[in-house]
Order: sequence, then C-alpha cells, then structure tokens
Amino acid sequence: MPTPLLEVRNLRVGFQTDEGLLTAVDDVDFILEAGKTLGVVGESGCGKSVTAMSLMRLLPQPAGRILSGEVLLEGRDLTKLPIEAMRKIRGNDIAMIFQEPMTALNPVQPVGMQIIEAIQLHEPTTPAKALRRAVELMEWVGIPAPEQRVNEYPHQLSGGMRQRVMIAMALSCHPKVLIADEPTTALDVTVQAQILDLLKRLQNETGMAVILITHDLGVIAETCDDVAVMYAGRIVERGPVYPIFAKPQHPYTQGLIRCLPKLDHPPKTTLPVIPGMVPSLRDMPAGCRFAARCPNPHSTDVLNTRQPWKECGSGHGVEACACFASQISAS
Amino acid sequence: MSLLSVQNLKMHFPVRGGVFYTTQAVCKAVDGVSFELKAGETLGLVGESGCGKSTVARSVVRLLKPTSGNVVFNGHDISTQSQSALRSQRREMQMIFQDPAESLNPRHTIGQILEEPFIIQKLGTRAERAEWSVELLKRVGLPADAMFRYSFEFSGGQRQRIGIARAIALNPKLIVCDEPVSALDVSVQSQVLNLLLELQRDMGLSYLFIAHGLNVVKHMSDRVAVMYLGKIVELAPATELYQNPRHAYTKALLDAIPIADPTQRRERQLLRGDVPSPINPPAGCAFGHRMKHPKWEQSVGMDLTLKEISPGHFVQPCPCCT
Repeated sequence: MPTPLLEVRNLRVGFQTDEGLLTAVDDVDFILEAGKTLGVVGESGCGKSVTAMSLMRLLPQPAGRILSGEVLLEGRDLTKLPIEAMRKIRGNDIAMIFQEPMTALNPVQPVGMQIIEAIQLHEPTTPAKALRRAVELMEWVGIPAPEQRVNEYPHQLSGGMRQRVMIAMALSCHPKVLIADEPTTALDVTVQAQILDLLKRLQNETGMAVILITHDLGVIAETCDDVAVMYAGRIVERGPVYPIFAKPQHPYTQGLIRCLPKLDHPPKTTLPVIPGMVPSLRDMPAGCRFAARCPNPHSTDVLNTRQPWKECGSGHGVEACACFASQISAS
Repeated sequence: MSLLSVQNLKMHFPVRGGVFYTTQAVCKAVDGVSFELKAGETLGLVGESGCGKSTVARSVVRLLKPTSGNVVFNGHDISTQSQSALRSQRREMQMIFQDPAESLNPRHTIGQILEEPFIIQKLGTRAERAEWSVELLKRVGLPADAMFRYSFEFSGGQRQRIGIARAIALNPKLIVCDEPVSALDVSVQSQVLNLLLELQRDMGLSYLFIAHGLNVVKHMSDRVAVMYLGKIVELAPATELYQNPRHAYTKALLDAIPIADPTQRRERQLLRGDVPSPINPPAGCAFGHRMKHPKWEQSVGMDLTLKEISPGHFVQPCPCCT
C-alpha cells in the first residue's frame, strides 16, 4: 500500500488546566489521500478544531500539548519535528483557513501586503514580483479588481471577500493539505455556496487535499469525499460520504442526521432530538461517551470499557458500542 | 383582525462624518416593509446579513423608533406611542435574541433575571414572583435550583431556554425571535425549536421568526417573507414559497441551501457578488441591479408594491426578477 498523504494515528491531545490534565482529543485516527476532501463534523467542544490545530502544531502554549500519537505527512512524523522544521511545513505543505477572517487578518495592514508577506516568507523574490504574484492570486480566488483591492484594508472588504483573501494567502505556496476550520460558518448561504464552489475549483486545479471542519452536515454532504464524525474527543464513525448518510451506524450520527429540519419535513411538527448534553471533559467515561444520550438500551458496562472499532465494509467504520454492535449491517 | 400590522415601515439611519459631523448619506436599512401577523401564527423573515431583518424586528418592538410607517399591535399604533404608554404594550410583546450569553445579565442570578419582568410591571409579592419564576423554569425544562445560579454556569442551549422563559414570563401575545438558534449546535437546536413550537401551541403565541437558516425558517413558519436590501421581495405560505418561488432572489437563496444528502449533489447557479450596501441603494429592483439584468432599467420608476399572484402569495412585480 502506498504511503497516504496524511495519516493521523492514535492522536491524543491534552490541556493542562487548574483542574488537571483534560484530554480534548482522545485516540483519533484518520487517513487523508491526495486530492480528496475529508469532512470532520461534530458539535462545539468535540475536539475538531483542536485536532486541526495539533496537525499544524499550533496548540495554545503552554497549556496544550500532544500527549501521544503520530501525524504522518508523507511518512514524516510532524509531532517529532523541531520547531524550525515545522515552520517550513506550515504554509508550504499544510495551510489553514479559519472561521472568522476578520480576526485572522491584520486590521491595520492592506490585504495585499499580508499576501506578499506570506509569499516572501516562503520563497526568495523581489517585492515587485511578490506584488504581481499577490495580484494574480487575488484574481485566481475570484476577487474583482485585484489591482485596487491589494491596497485595501480588511474592514473595507465583505466577509466573503475576506475569506477569499485568506484562501489566497493560504494557497500562495501550493500546500498539499488545506485545513479549513469552519470556513463558511460566519457567511450567508449565498456567499457560503460561492466559497465552497471556489474551494472545489482550486482543489481541482491544484490537486491539494482538504480537511473541512464544520458542524453543518449539509456542507459535508455537498463537498466531501469522506467524513469523520467526532463526539466528545473521539471519532465515532468514519467512512465515505455516501454510506455514512445512507446507512449511518452510530446512534450519534443517526441522531445528528435525523434532527436536522429538512425542507420536505411537514412544517411545525416536533423534530427528533438528541436529549441531554455532551459530557464534561472533566468526567469523560472511559467507554462509550454517547451512552448518556443514547436512545438504545444499554448496560453500564459500555461506560467503563472502551468499545471496539468495527469495519463495515468499503472503508466505513464505527465505534461499535455493545448497544448496537449486533445490528451493524455491511454497507 | 390581525395581531400585528406593519404598514410601509421605514427605518433610515443618517451616516454622519466629515469635519462638522454632518449627515453625508442615508442608510435605508428598512425601506417600505408591510406585513400582517395573525394570532397564533408564525411569520418567518429570511434574507442575507444586512438586508434589514433585525432592524424590522427591533422596530416592531419599538427598540428603534421607525422613521416613518406604522406598527399597529393589538389595535395600538406603537410606532408613535410615548414610552409610558408603550410599557403596557410591552407586556404583550417580547423578544428572544441570538446570543443568550449577551442578553442575560451576567451579574444577576437566573432568579433575578426571571423576576425582573414582574417587577417592572409591578406584579406580585416577592414570594409570588419567586414561585412564578420556578414555574417558568419548569415550563422550559430547567431544574428549579437554576434560580440561584448565574447564566455563565449554563450551556448555550440552557441559556436560550432561560431567554425563552424570560420572554414568556408576562404571558405575551407576540414574541419576536431574532436568530434564536443560530448560535446553537444541531442537536440542541432541535430541542429549542421543539420548545418554541410547544409553547406556541399551548399559549397561542405569535412569532416573528428571523433566521438565516432557511431550513429552520421553513420548519417553524406558516408564512415566510424574503427580504432583500430593506424591502420584502416575496411573501408566501411557507410550503408554497419553497415549492414555487417566483422572485429570482428567492430562487437563488433556496438554491444555495446545502442539502444533507450526498445523492442530491447538483450544479448550482451561483449568485455573483455580495449584498450591496443599503447606503444609496440602486433605484428600481435592487436585485435586478445586482444581477445586471437586461430588463432592470424597466423597473426604475415602477411601482414595486407587492402584488398577489395567487392566494396569499405576494411578489415584487419587477420585470427583471419575476
């Protein structure tokens, strides 16, 4: 088997707090193939952003650290790299865009300058060439009148345009992996559609792989090849997008899909719900973390012992809690 | 008779600047909006950010004094009433905000927060008010001991429940919900939507329901109004609007909704550009102008009042978009 582009193995990430070490990401693994889009979906606090930050080694310091596990980029373990080498990886190999471009961009510097800075950090070039390249990049990501826009400040641009600037900056050095952390959450649906379409186009042109982090199952269904569903720091189900939506196995995935109001639902009817709330990081059960909200009858054993991972065919796998393991059908 | 009738509501804000801080332009956030809301009904209001939906909400409960136009609630024109006369009307209309963390006083216990509406309206003794507050908490599915805790001790969903409890405290007729579930996670969102539906059934509430999640609006509303740049461009019964959209903007909005089913992937007609600024909006049909529609010029100077094209289905009659 060829080495995958990015492979994450048994990643555990913890934060040192006043209340002791809290494990925000617990034993996460996934594979990202070149040119593919992996969607990571889950609710706030499930560890999806922390996972992304640890791939970039950008965890808040000194509290956050990778406790164990490997992040293999083309076979190279990023968790073991010295800071200097890691700095070269960022931007060149893995780049990232964020939810709120307004907070990620420097408000007192024209956006063009910020793109030029990114270019000059990574390749030796003259200022004039860098400027020309910035204009080209802005045009490439669909910013109208880029020659004027390079001199504008972030507040002069709309949310969608700012996100395009972020994308231009992230892609300035042709990364192999783009991590997009909720890139469209702050945008309107119409602008969201534009940005998702842009990402797809750029991906087709460059062949980069994308990790798309979102809480919106609609976005996942429309743009991703594979999905990882995270709950309380763990991946509970993972696989190609079609079987996950057609035959979700984990009760959490099923619940998530069911409780979305759909356009063909009869209006003003009671929606299915997932009762209760995510358990606190302070008292996470060792076993199935969804048990407290699970509609299936289960014994207390599932809380105490780690439930096994089970493959159900064509790359679709699930944390097979005893409460439904016997009903798993091949997809 | 309708509970709420909004007629030709306009909310213009002066844009000041320059050396003498003079008015340099006018931001027409809401520019001639009319609709009716019956008792027990939900009217959904959708549109992109900056289209004026929240400004409509704020003018309806008179958090903003409209520039012109009338807001007739329960037979009283609240757009011109004095503050003291308003107070009695405010009992009957309440508001739920997007971010409950910011709309609940962090220094007050939940008990104090829930008691406040009664104090303002001079209702009950201290013991009675405490008793009512506990009932309210029970009504929205929170334990009674929440009374003595502070809002930061609760999760987003629970805080929104507290916001809802405060809104229903005085038994209102109308609740204006401004993006009530946008900040919540999917699993919590459906819990809160169910609670709102249940309260509506039990208390006969009317909702003016604002959200940018079109699926959510469709699920909650009897009728839906689509706003674009300060104007309603289409208003129809919810199912009708989603099945048979007539205005090009409504179609574009509906087309942009991501569908949570990978087998339904499709090529979209992408909308170009962003919502234009409501400062100096274009003449005629603003959406036709954005789309650079060849027939847009015909809409300049036309009467763009909504026309009823089938029972209950109103649309802006511009030649470019319908």
